[in-house]
Amino acid sequence: MTLTLDRRAFLAASGGGLVVGLTASLPVNAAGAGGALNAYLAIGADGVVTLLSPVTEMGQGTHTAHAAIIADELGLAFDKVRVEMGEPGEPFRRLQGQAATMSSSGSWGVRYWAAPLRKAAAQARLMLIEAGAARLKVPAEELRAEAGMVVHAKSGRRIGFATLAGEAAKLAPPADPPLRPETERRHVGDSRLRRPDLPDKVRGRTVYSFDFKRPGMVYACARLTPAFAAPITKVDEAPARAVKGVLDVVAFPGGVAVVAASQWAAMKGAAALEITPGPAPDPDLSSAAISAAMREGLAAPSRAIAFDRGGFDAARAGAARIFSADYEVPYLSHAPMEPWSVTVEFSSAGGVRLWGPFQAQDRARTTAAAALKLKPEDVRISTLMLGGGFGRRIMDDGVAPAVLVAKAVGKPLKFFWRREEEFLAGWLRPAMAARLTAAIGPDNRVTGLHIRMSGPAMRRSFAPTPLPADQFDTFVEPSAVQNLDLVRYRVGAYKVDYAMRHNAVTMCPWRAVGASHNGFFLETFIDELARVLGKDPVALRRELLAHDARALKLVDETAARAGWGKALAPGHALGFAFFESYGSLCAQVAEVSLVDGQPKVHRVVCGLDCGAVVMPDGVVSQMEGQVVMGLSAALFEAVTIAKGGVVETNFDAYRLLRFEECPQISCFILESGAPMGGVGEPALPPTAAALANALAALTGEPVRSLPLMRAPA
Amino acid sequence: MIKFQLNGRARTTAAEPDTPLLFVLRDEFGLTGTKYGCGIAQCGVCKVLVDGAAAPACITPVSAVEGAKVVTIEGLNPQGEHPLQKAWLDQQAPQCGYCQSGQIIQAAALLAATPKPTDAEIDAAMSGNLCRCGTYPRIRAAIKQAAGL
Repeated sequence: MTLTLDRRAFLAASGGGLVVGLTASLPVNAAGAGGALNAYLAIGADGVVTLLSPVTEMGQGTHTAHAAIIADELGLAFDKVRVEMGEPGEPFRRLQGQAATMSSSGSWGVRYWAAPLRKAAAQARLMLIEAGAARLKVPAEELRAEAGMVVHAKSGRRIGFATLAGEAAKLAPPADPPLRPETERRHVGDSRLRRPDLPDKVRGRTVYSFDFKRPGMVYACARLTPAFAAPITKVDEAPARAVKGVLDVVAFPGGVAVVAASQWAAMKGAAALEITPGPAPDPDLSSAAISAAMREGLAAPSRAIAFDRGGFDAARAGAARIFSADYEVPYLSHAPMEPWSVTVEFSSAGGVRLWGPFQAQDRARTTAAAALKLKPEDVRISTLMLGGGFGRRIMDDGVAPAVLVAKAVGKPLKFFWRREEEFLAGWLRPAMAARLTAAIGPDNRVTGLHIRMSGPAMRRSFAPTPLPADQFDTFVEPSAVQNLDLVRYRVGAYKVDYAMRHNAVTMCPWRAVGASHNGFFLETFIDELARVLGKDPVALRRELLAHDARALKLVDETAARAGWGKALAPGHALGFAFFESYGSLCAQVAEVSLVDGQPKVHRVVCGLDCGAVVMPDGVVSQMEGQVVMGLSAALFEAVTIAKGGVVETNFDAYRLLRFEECPQISCFILESGAPMGGVGEPALPPTAAALANALAALTGEPVRSLPLMRAPA
Repeated sequence: MIKFQLNGRARTTAAEPDTPLLFVLRDEFGLTGTKYGCGIAQCGVCKVLVDGAAAPACITPVSAVEGAKVVTIEGLNPQGEHPLQKAWLDQQAPQCGYCQSGQIIQAAALLAATPKPTDAEIDAAMSGNLCRCGTYPRIRAAIKQAAGL
C-alpha cells in the first residue's frame, strides 16, 4: 500500500523547508494502519514500527544498526522494529559532491544516517506523547515512552503506540526534538544485538534478486560484448532458438539476450548463442602494456598536483640519503557471490518498476528513465537483499539493457547474466602504480615524502559525464590519491601528485576504493623505510606519530595484543600496518610463514578506532570480512587484460581466498569518542601491507607488487 | 520422467534429463534457497545433499538423482533448527547470506560423516565453498559449536 504523507510531516522529517513543491507521496510497504509519523517511520496496527531505511542491506548489517537506533530513541523493543528499503526520494538522499543522491557507498550507512534517523524517532516519540497527553488529559511532561507504550507513571495508565499512532500522525512533527540521554540506551552499543535478517538466511528463505518472481514473468539471460566496447558483429541465434523453452532472442546495445520461460532455458540458450565479436577498440591492450604505461608515468613530468605542503625539493636537496621504491597493483573484480539480475515490470499507466540489488538507487532510476525516455518519477526502484555488493552494485550497466529487453518482450521480465558475464563486463578496481620517495636527514629522520601515483582515472569510466579533454593534464583522479591527504605521519615536506595513464578498461568503486591500494603502497613503503633507517617498523611509526595520541593508542594496543617484539615460532614473522580511511583508524598485524615457498598467513590482529559504535558484533563481523577480502586480493586476485578484454571468466581462474587459507582473525574496537567513523571499508586497506611487511621481514625481500600468488593456469 | 525424493517427499519431474538439478529445484519446485553462483562447481553456493553427500547442484544433471534422496537447505530440518542452523545464528555467521545455504549443507554432510571433525577435516570439507563477505572464521566457529568441539 502507499501512504500519502501530509506535506507538513514531510517537511519536518526532511529537516526544513527545502522540498517545497515535491509531491510527498512515499510508498510504505508495511501495514501502516496506525499511521506514518514522518518520512521514515510508520506504526502498524500491531504496534510494529516500520522504518524505511535509506541504506541498502548487502550483508553489512546496517539495517540492524538502524533498527537499534530507532528502538532506543522511540522507546520500543528491538524486535518491534521492522526495516524496509526506502525508494528514491529526498529524505533518503545524501549529499555527494554537488548533488544529493540515494546511494549506499563510502561507509556512510550508520555514521551519516544515525543522526537523521535518531531525530526522526525522537519526533515520532514526542508526537506519540503529545497524542497520549490529549487522550489522557495530562501534561505531556508527565508522560514517557517506554517499551512501545506511552506511560503515565503517576496514575499507572499506559497506551500502546499503535492506539495513538493515528492521532499522533495528525500532529505537527517538532522541528528540533530533544534526544534521549545515552544512559537510556538499551540496544545501541549492545554486543548481544542479533541481526534479524539472519534466521531467514540460514534457512534459505531470504529472497534475493535472483530468486524474486512476478506473476507471468519470463527470463532473459544476457551475453555481453566480450571486449571493452567492442561491437558484436554477428550472432547466430539458431542454436539458442533450438533450446526448449526459449521464446526469443533480443539484441540490446552491448549485447544480446535470450528470452525463455525458465531461468535455465534462458541460460542454456544464452550459452548456445554463437557470437562473433568485432575488433576491440584497442586490441593491443594488455596487462603488460597497462603496466608499462603506469611505470612510465611514475617518472614523467606532471601538473596534476593533489597535495603539496611545500618544501620537498629543498628536503631532497638537503637530504643525507634518498630512498625510493615503486609499487604496483592489478585490476580487481568485485565478484559478489550473486551475479547481476533485475526484475522489470511495466504498469498499465506507462510507468515501470524495477526490483533488484541496487547500491545506487537514484543512478539506477535515472538510467532506466533515460533508456525508456520516461521521467524519473515514472520509474520505481525497489531494492532487494543483495548477495554481496562491494561497490559493484553501484554501477548501472545492467539497468538499461534490462528495461530495453523488458520493453521489447512486453512481459514481466527477469534480466540476468551468468558468472562469466559478471567477470567479462569489467567495472573493475583500477590497476595503479606508485613511486614513494623519502628524503632522509643527517639525523636519520624523514624530512620529506613524495608520492607519485600513476594509473587510469576511474572517474572517466564511472562518472556519468565525460572529463573535458582540456583538464587531462591537471586532473587528479580522486581515488588514486584517496586518504593520502589524511596521512597522520609527520614526514616533513609532503607532496602527492598523479600521472593519468588511462585506457579503455571500465572501472568502478571496489571496497575501500583507492584506499585499497594506497594502504598497501604507503604502509609497505614505511616498513621499507624502517629497514633503511635501521628502525623497528612499529618504533618508526611511533616516531612519526609522536604528536598523535589517538593514533598512538591504537598502534600500541594492536602491537601489544599481537605480541609485537615477542618470540615467535621458528620461521614465522610479523608485519604491521596502520591506515586511516572513512573516518576510522585501523592497525593490523599479520603473522606469516612460508610453506613450500608460499606465504601462509597464521593470524591477523585487527584494531579499529571508529570513534563510536552502534552494533559492536556487527563491526567485528565487518572487520573480519575486510581482512579476509584484503588477504584474498593480496594473495590471489588479479584481472588479466589481453587482446582488449578480460581473461578470467569464472572462479576457476579468478581465485578467491578459500576456507582453509583463512587465518585466525582477532578483532578489537577502540572507542575513542571521536566522531563516528565508517566500518564497512577502513579495515581492508592495512591488510595487504601487514601481510607484505611480514613476508619481507621473513625473507628480506621487499614486496612491491600484488598478488603474491598467481592461480595455476 | 525422473523420480526422486526431495526433502522427504516423493517427486517427479518432466524436466529434460540434462537439466541441472539446481534449476529443477529453483524453477520447478520453487526451492530458491539453493543458489546459482558459477555454474561450474567452483563456488559451492549450489550444494545440496544427494543421499547424504554434498553435491554441486549446478553441474548435477537431474537424471543423476533418479531414485536418490535430495535434501536442500529448506529440508535440512523441519523447523529450520538443525544444530548447524542454530550454531550459525549463535555465531551470527552470515553477512549477505548468499553462500550460506551451500556452506550449511556442506557442513551438514561433514558432520553426518564425521561427527567430531578435526580442523584439517573441516578445512578439507569446506574448501570448495567460497564466501566473498569473509565469514569463514564464524563458519568454522559454528561448525565446532554444532559438533560440540
